[in-house]
Order: sequence, then C-alpha cells, then structure tokens
Amino acid sequence: MLDQANTQPGSEDYADYPALWHLDSIGVLSHLRDGARVKEGRSRVAIIDTSVAVDHPCLAPAVNRDLAVDFFSNRLGAFPYYQDRKLDATFPNLATDVADALPACRDLLNELVDRLARGSAPHVKGVAPATSPDFSTHGTAIAGLVGARPATVSLLPGGGIGSCEVPLPFCGADPFCEIIPISTNFDPDPEVLIMAFLYAEIIDASVILLPRSIPDPYRIVPELGGDADFIDAVLPAKPNAREHALWRELPQLIISVSLKRPVICAAGNARERGGIYPANLADADNGVISVGAANAKGLIAGYSQTDGVTLLAPSNDAERYDRLSVRLDVQDARFPDRVCPAQNGNAKFSYFEIISTDVPGRHGYSYSPFASEEPQGALREFGSYFCRFGGTSAASAIVAGFVSLGYSMDDLRIGTGGLAAKDWLLSKSVQIETDDGAFFYPAWSGSVNFPDLYGL
Amino acid sequence: MNHPLDLLKTTEFVVTRTGLALRGAAGTLTEAGFPGFDSGKSASGGSLTTLLSLNRSARTTLNRNRNRNRNRNRNRNRGGSPDEGTANLSLEPWRERMVLYQMAGSWTDLPVPLPPDPEQLRIETAELLRKQVRLHTPAEAQRRDEIRAESGLDLTAYLRPLGIDDCGDYEATVGLVLLVLLLCDEIGLSYKHRFDVPRPSYIEPRLRPFLANPPHASYPSNHSFQSFAVAFVLSRILPEHPASSELFLRARRVAENREWAGLHYPSDTHAGHDLARMVTPVLEIVCREQMLAAQKEWI
Repeated sequence: MLDQANTQPGSEDYADYPALWHLDSIGVLSHLRDGARVKEGRSRVAIIDTSVAVDHPCLAPAVNRDLAVDFFSNRLGAFPYYQDRKLDATFPNLATDVADALPACRDLLNELVDRLARGSAPHVKGVAPATSPDFSTHGTAIAGLVGARPATVSLLPGGGIGSCEVPLPFCGADPFCEIIPISTNFDPDPEVLIMAFLYAEIIDASVILLPRSIPDPYRIVPELGGDADFIDAVLPAKPNAREHALWRELPQLIISVSLKRPVICAAGNARERGGIYPANLADADNGVISVGAANAKGLIAGYSQTDGVTLLAPSNDAERYDRLSVRLDVQDARFPDRVCPAQNGNAKFSYFEIISTDVPGRHGYSYSPFASEEPQGALREFGSYFCRFGGTSAASAIVAGFVSLGYSMDDLRIGTGGLAAKDWLLSKSVQIETDDGAFFYPAWSGSVNFPDLYGL
Repeated sequence: MNHPLDLLKTTEFVVTRTGLALRGAAGTLTEAGFPGFDSGKSASGGSLTTLLSLNRSARTTLNRNRNRNRNRNRNRNRGGSPDEGTANLSLEPWRERMVLYQMAGSWTDLPVPLPPDPEQLRIETAELLRKQVRLHTPAEAQRRDEIRAESGLDLTAYLRPLGIDDCGDYEATVGLVLLVLLLCDEIGLSYKHRFDVPRPSYIEPRLRPFLANPPHASYPSNHSFQSFAVAFVLSRILPEHPASSELFLRARRVAENREWAGLHYPSDTHAGHDLARMVTPVLEIVCREQMLAAQKEWI
C-alpha cells in the first residue's frame, strides 16, 4: 500500500483502489456479493445513447438483442441483431397514451407503431443500423455501469501464461436487469429523440436513462431564456416550422413519459446551474431525475454542482483552477509547474475514477496492444475490455442501475410510475452536508462509504 | 461457483498506477479457483496485471472543452494547418474505394425520396429568388464569403467547431473529413445521375446563380450530402464532443448557402441530409481504419 503522506508532489504516486469502489460507496456491492440471487429480466432499462458493444462478455447476457434499436441512420429505427429474421419481438405498450395531447408526437407514434408490426423488416427499405461496436464507446461504458454481469472467459496462451479460465469480476449496479440500447445520433433533429422516448415507452421500460444532453437550440443555453429572435440570429441555420413544433413538444413528452417511468438524466459536466437540458426538467411534479457527481471523498465533483439536481452519485473528479476554487491533483505531473495559492482546496480532490466496460480490442477508450481483430470466444488480454470513465454520465448510469435494482429486488413495484420511483430513490438516499452544499446520495442499506478520505 | 456474482466473493479488479490488476480477494487466484496465473512469470506477485492504457489524460474524456483547449494551446506555436492533413490523402484512397464498390448493394438503392414534381420545384424557386435578393445586402456579406470559400475544398465549417482548424496534430481527423468528402462525392453523383433534376435556374431563368452551375444534376445536393456525412461520421467517433451537434448546424449552413447561391432547391438539401444519414452505416465500414485513427487523436 502506497503511503501517500510520503510521496512528492507531481510524482504520480497514486494508491491502488478497488475497481468497484463506486458500488461499495452506495452500499450495493455487499448486497450483490452476499445477497439474494433474483430472477433476471424483471427490470428493463432503456439506454438512450450511442450504440453498445453487445458482445462484451460482461454485457452479452444483459442486452436484449431483439429489442435493441438504432435511430441513428433510420428515422423509424433499425434492429441491428435480427440478421435474416423478420421482426418478432413483443412490444407490450403499443397502446400508450403518452402522446395523446401532443399532435406531432402522436403522428410519429402512429408511424412507429406501424413500423413495429410483427413480420416487418428489421431494416426498413434496406437502411442498415449504425451500430458498429468499434464506435460504441460511450454506450458501452454506460451499459456496463447499469447492468454488466461478472463473467468467466477463456484466456489464450501467451506471456508466460498457459490457456486457462479468467474471471472478470465486474458488474453494474443491477446485474439482474435487462438492457435495451436505443441508439441515436447527435443531429439537432427533435424527431430522433422523440422516437427514442416513444420507443422506450412502447417497450414498457422500467427505467429510462439519458446520459447526454439534447441539442434543442432554444434550451441549450438556458441563460438566453426565451429570446427566440436572438437565438435565431446566433444559429448558423434555423429550424423549420415542423422542427419548431417538435422541439416544443419534446419536453412535454419527456415529462409525460416520466410520470409513467423514471427518466434519469445526466446533469452536466460544466457546473451548469440547474443542469443541462433535459435534466433541468426535473422537479417535484415529474419523474425526471437529474444526477450530479460526487467524488470518492464524498464531496461535490469539481465539474458538478447541486442546484436543481435531484441527487449526486459516485463518479470521478476534475481539478478546479479558477476564481471560485483551486482544487488541484498534487500528484499530477504538471502540479509543480502551477502556482498554487496557500489557501486551496487540493485536499478535496480525489483521483479515484469510475471503471466500466469498454469496447474490446484496439478500439474504445482503452486500447489492446494487439492490432488484429479480437479472437472469437477467448481473450488475449482483458485490459481493453475495461476503461476509466466519469462525469455525470457515469453518475446517472449508476443511479439508473440503482433504481433498476430496486425493481429487480421487488423493493420498488414495477409500474409504480416515475414520481413513486423518485420518492423511493430519495428514501434510499442519505443527505450529506459539505462546505460546498448539501446533497442526497444513494445508500442501499442506509449507510455510505467513501474510500478516498486521505487529506480530509 | 453457482452464480456469476459469486466471482465477486473470490476475485476483484484493482486499479493500480499502471493498469487494472486481477487479484484473488483473499489470496491468490489459484486459491480463488483460477489456477495458471500464479507462476513466477506473472506480474505483481500472484496477480495478473494488464495495462488498461489508462493514461492520466484519459480523465478529460468527460470534458472535451478542456481537452481541446489544451491541444489548441500546444499546437498554436507549431504553425500547423489543415492542409497538412491532406498528406493522408496524397494517394488516392483506392482501398476505401474498393471496399465501397464491393458493398455497392448497400448504398446504390437507399430510399432517397423521389424528387418533387416540376410544379413543386417551381414553387421552391420562389424562395430562392427571395434569397437571391437578400444575398446582395450588406447583412449577408459573410454568407457571400462563405459561399465562395465553400465552392472549393474549404474545411473550415467542419474543423472550426472542433477547434482544430488551426492545428497540426489532427492529421487523421482532417484526413477522415477529406476521405468522406471524396467518397460521398462519388456516391452523390450516382444519385444525381439517376434523378437528373435540372438546376433551379433552368426552371426559373430569373435566378442568377452567384456561382456557375456545376455540370451535373441538382438532386440531391452533394454539398448537403457531403457536409452532413462528415457530421454524422464525426459524431459517431466523438459523441461526447460538445460540438457534435454544432457540426450538423454548420453542415446545414453549408447546404443552405448553396440555396442562397441559387444552385440548389431546398428539397436538394433535405435529400442530401437524408442520404448522409442512411449512408453512415456504409461509411463506418468503408472508413473504419480512418475513423479509428481519428478517434485516437481525441481519446
């Protein structure tokens, strides 16, 4: 064990820490390790994000491939994993009334329902999905934090080690849930996100996770308020009348959906007061849950804040070096070159990061040393299968898994709606007071653990 | 071992300074039921250590603004320019073209809507006439400059939102943009040939295009198709970048500038956008190596 008290600033001496510290911090790890094994698939988590590397050994048992859908390339959705089969999945909530008061959304819902008819083509008019695992980094990390399962895989011989079985002791907050990737693009086209939310409604998701912002030009800079004329002047290209109508309906749809199932959103990574859109829709009257980030010391992460946020959850930290705060990583190699005021908050910084699943091989956030394709059914190394991750994306994914675990364990009744889920979540949280503000933090068994208390 | 979760009782991943270590929770991996790792050749005294490739800068994945700014500062003194990136395409992209045409069945018959009827095209030209008048007002001086620049291979619209239009360290990203533009030019021409829609000034002679009409058909707009294809492809490799959505708005600006120039109908713009969206799954196969190389410049 590294003695941090005797390390030199800038020497990059960081003590080891458990990869699942975040689950331990919220009281879930001991529950998963020692608690009951319940039936899988009771809870269904819809992840609206990028595509997911579904063959990752920790994710393969979690992803429902028949319901996974991609709206990146096809406005009516493409089903990536059907191959030669026709559509034969069951969509339990085709008669949803969630868009009844939203005429433009209702038209889209009707189109989507028609498209989902049993026996229809997985790729409408031959348009393939854009779901190559190579470019599924963010979604893969998110999915792992929600519902990865530990796995045992074969290791190919090499490096002085013979062929053998290797454990991958990694899991998400709810390793009993079913994950439905709903991949989208980043085109500021409201229709894509509307389709994604309607689809999550149609499949009767227990939890909807949106670990990203929505690029509504009229909401992306809340400080500009409703000054539409100025926003139009700023935009390189203006939305047309149909897009205007859809942008107006989208937040109403999200709130309407959230009353039926919790919608868990990342609050933003730039200390945005009130949170980014749509996290900033969260209030006491709806089921939108806005998630900020706390570091492994139990303090507000450097890029997060508490205003408008439902709760904070474990994530990594970021340095601060601004007029409001100086909170630097004293072990960082650049630290000696910085002018650090005597009064600083360096002790508040935590170097702990979130570990999650990554696209295997030479792609993704962490790379394999091998340039060739990954072998089928076996690994040559496991480093590229996991990555460092963070931000409120990670925190929101952990909360989505936490709520899903409530459903899986029948602590939270399926179908109770987003408001009840939010109430349950807050009842399973503890309030933490810090010098920088108070916040709620998930605590499965009523207590929390922060592993990086050095310096406090 | 009865349940995969039981692995958590006997083994654990530990984050070390050099990577992720796999360890027995209370002893060696052999004692945990996984023999084979505890020989003298394995690292860290009974643990299996593997590099995570998690250098410290990886932490900045959560905040691309900060990462980008650091890179910009680092590169400003080196005088790099996007032109350096063209070195990546100093050879014709023959491999990519070969793959593209091997999978021609995936992109030659995408469901691009049929073009509007002549009456609708004529109605669309009315809007172009209004834009023609406004284009020559002082308020549209910037747009006139953009139209001139975008008639060539100007990459500003794609690189500036990413903050790399004055950098030299993003050769693969710039090379990828150029590759997408080249390949989409060919794909788009095949659709133009199929639909053979006349340019707006043929339908409405009172339109005086700001630039000469290109010598091919109008529908779909290749400027629109190419620009949106760049946006779709870059957002596939950089979904967390704050400018991912801005790229689409810039693409739309480039496409609409061609309407202001009297060269394209709005329906050409829309068709170019739709074609770009549908062709992205093809491009992520054809341009796979370049996309991976470009992604590594950012992660």
